Amino acid sequence: MSLLDRVPTGNGDLALLAGVCCVLIGGLFALTPLRAQLPSALYVFVEVGILFVIYGLLVLGLDLQYGHTGLVNFGHVAFFAVGAYGTAMLSAQDTFAGIGLGYPWPLALGVGVAAAALVGLAVSATSIRLRGDFLAIVTLAAAEILHSVFVNFEGIFGGNVGILGVPRPIAALAGDADTRLIATLLVIGGITLVSLAGVTRLTSAPYGRVLRAIRADELVTRSVGKSTVTYKTQAFVYGAALAGLAGGLFALYNGAVAPGFFTIQVTVTVWIGMLLGGAANHRAVLAGLAIIMGLRLISRFALDVTPVPSDVFASIRLIVVGLILVTVIRYRPAGIWGDAQELGVDR
Amino acid sequence: MSLLSADALVKEFGGLRAVDGLSVSVEAGELVGVIGPNGAGKSTLFNCISGVVTPDEGVVTYDGTEVTGDPPEALARRGLVRTFQATRELETMTVRDNVRLAAPDQPGEQTVPALVRTESMQTVEQSVRTRADELLETFELDHLADEYSANLSGGQRKLLELARALMLDPSVLMLDEPFAGVNPTLTDEIAEHIRELNENGMTVVIIEHELETLTELVDRLVVLQQGRVLVDGQPEDVLSDDRVIEAYLGGGV
Amino acid sequence: MGLLQNIIFGVITGSYIAIAAIGFNLIYGIVNMINFAYGEYLTLGAFIGLFAATALPIPLPVAVLVAMAGGGLVSIVLARAFFTPINQTGPVPLLLTSIGLGIALRNAIRLVAGREARYYDTETTTFRFDAVPDLSVGSVDLLGGFFVTSKQLIVVASAVAVFVAIYGLLTRTDVGIAMRAMGDDESLARVRGIDTQLIRDSVWVLAGILAGLSGVLLAIQTNVSATTGFSQILQILSAAILGGAGSPYGAIVGAYLIGIVLALSTAFLPSGMSGLSSAIAFGILILVLLVKPSGIAGAEVREA
Repeated sequence: MSLLDRVPTGNGDLALLAGVCCVLIGGLFALTPLRAQLPSALYVFVEVGILFVIYGLLVLGLDLQYGHTGLVNFGHVAFFAVGAYGTAMLSAQDTFAGIGLGYPWPLALGVGVAAAALVGLAVSATSIRLRGDFLAIVTLAAAEILHSVFVNFEGIFGGNVGILGVPRPIAALAGDADTRLIATLLVIGGITLVSLAGVTRLTSAPYGRVLRAIRADELVTRSVGKSTVTYKTQAFVYGAALAGLAGGLFALYNGAVAPGFFTIQVTVTVWIGMLLGGAANHRAVLAGLAIIMGLRLISRFALDVTPVPSDVFASIRLIVVGLILVTVIRYRPAGIWGDAQELGVDR
Repeated sequence: MSLLSADALVKEFGGLRAVDGLSVSVEAGELVGVIGPNGAGKSTLFNCISGVVTPDEGVVTYDGTEVTGDPPEALARRGLVRTFQATRELETMTVRDNVRLAAPDQPGEQTVPALVRTESMQTVEQSVRTRADELLETFELDHLADEYSANLSGGQRKLLELARALMLDPSVLMLDEPFAGVNPTLTDEIAEHIRELNENGMTVVIIEHELETLTELVDRLVVLQQGRVLVDGQPEDVLSDDRVIEAYLGGGV
Repeated sequence: MGLLQNIIFGVITGSYIAIAAIGFNLIYGIVNMINFAYGEYLTLGAFIGLFAATALPIPLPVAVLVAMAGGGLVSIVLARAFFTPINQTGPVPLLLTSIGLGIALRNAIRLVAGREARYYDTETTTFRFDAVPDLSVGSVDLLGGFFVTSKQLIVVASAVAVFVAIYGLLTRTDVGIAMRAMGDDESLARVRGIDTQLIRDSVWVLAGILAGLSGVLLAIQTNVSATTGFSQILQILSAAILGGAGSPYGAIVGAYLIGIVLALSTAFLPSGMSGLSSAIAFGILILVLLVKPSGIAGAEVREA
């Protein structure tokens, strides 16, 4: 009775509640002998679903940077990778190549997130004053540099093999494969929902008002007394930290990290999801991302029913993805659910 | 000691001296008008004082301390607030949010209070909203409060910019062409607001093209020409000054 | 291998990067966009040249001309279809559109041409100069014997020809002078009665021609596959911005700098880390943007 009275509504509190519930239920699966059964047809959905909730953290961070503050970060994958490598290298035991220190995973995850935030701070401290398209180039180049560092310093980062032997805490606790997948989806999905609640609170508070003012006109925002560089730096670092969290969770789910998981393709996917859904609207960017990642499911199923080789399908999917980006910018610049007036693209 | 003074300011753009050894000072409670032909350096003077650009030479003093080159946000927080010549509305925000943004000392503009939704943030936001709505009512924009400011007319934008500046409760208000592109009725209205603010103790500096409104409004006129002060004095003296007639009125009067 | 040989390699790499970077920077200066799909124009040019030389077949020099014409045509058609309609929306939507277009083009090429690399059927003569003294300083030979191939000489000669032609175009022809005027100040150019859309179209065609040439030269040196151009885009972009965004002459300087840095770092980095050479090029780019954001010669890129 009294609990029901206090169920919050609106402004992301529902997401907070749902997120906490998801984590609790997921924890229940992992910690108790409770078992889940998954029809085999649904496996692929759950697998793509797990990737979606991880990428969901990426898109929430990117939307804080671009959608709300107007910072064009085209190297988002770099922070994802730093979080993943940081977590993996601190926690891995008996990695085949590179460094694995074997510390407890919660510590490793914390360090991974902190490392991503620090790299974000370094990038923003140097580049946050650059004009939009040049910030895009610097972040993109930074991501490429990082990628080749991961590939080339084999002794530290394990080269193309990456870091193996990363602990998988949920998999270790849950008994069978079905329970493992369900518990992972629930726990990570819950964390994403809690993050959604966090960014929603942030952006619906006066804090978000300052961010959107910076996107609209930085000089005016300064002339009414706001230290815009501080806000831009914060937004960039928070976005980077969320990406780092996504990377750490990915490492702990996947049990290994390698450069192949962290290509420019990740950045592009997240960007297209954000623009398709509608920037500056947290739920819209998640929905847009779901559509783009849903295309992967379609091509997987199409693969089963047609005799065409898989790389042909991959090419076709990417052609579609590229054209979606082009079409959205031209015909629906505010995305499907975005507010054209709020984004200043009304014409 | 003057409340605000600029001493021997110099600012060059690509070899052109927009401001060339310019000195002006404003006493607390004054209402000063700055006029001059296009390119006389009016806006550059404002930009130098408000920290939008840093002067190449010279000193700006405000409220007893040197503030040369201080960023606009620091000056705004100390009560030196300006508007822009071409109105710069935050077009992608509502009229009400435009005004609320300017509220000083809102703890909800920091991360932790925003995440935790502290009581103080809620309380402050409540009073910010009340104050913003009062200002919108004063400037007769209340019926447009939830409109995006991109939808406002030119005159309404001028009013909104004034309301936004007042949200900061400034000690010195610097207005860059507040009457440009505004119809005569609204011009009188804005002039009336400015007069009232000044009578309540606010120091106001106005850049303007429209001579008539300004001469009736201000206590003192500063005429600029080619980046220097040509004449500085009572409006009636200035207007009868031969050099002003020559330079500003084109000698045709 | 001596320093001299590596610098020669750098000059060769710089040459085809320079040809492409000029085109990239012309687009940047006149259309005011970073065209991330530009690498794909190189790929298309290389494939058109390959098709002309092998399937038709026609002599290689003629095939190169066909590739250049094809590149120009591709460029203007794509610009008209994708970029011109959203010209007014600003640099970020244009950049994003070019990224989407690049993905679509790259995969369309892969779909049609397959995954494997193709080779131009060419003959090469190698000129060796072994009698040059090493002139060692520490472990580094400043001179030392070196070689160049006829292909490499063609690349460098083509680049020089392009520089001369671009200089002539920008200083001696009405279209070129209008291009420069528009790069300086578009609204002023319009006031002066310059047909800005016509100039923009000319720039697209010109940039496409240069991409076609650069693509064929690159393919003759190595090979051509769906990712040939994409693998070069960051180097091209670095060279262009390093030289000064929007400046065709700056692009030349930037390209040779990038080329030589790439060659030297490949040669002198410890083995197993040679993959870092492109990272070094991007590092230089970032450094330049931070220290002197306008590049070696060019416009302001910081916000007011």
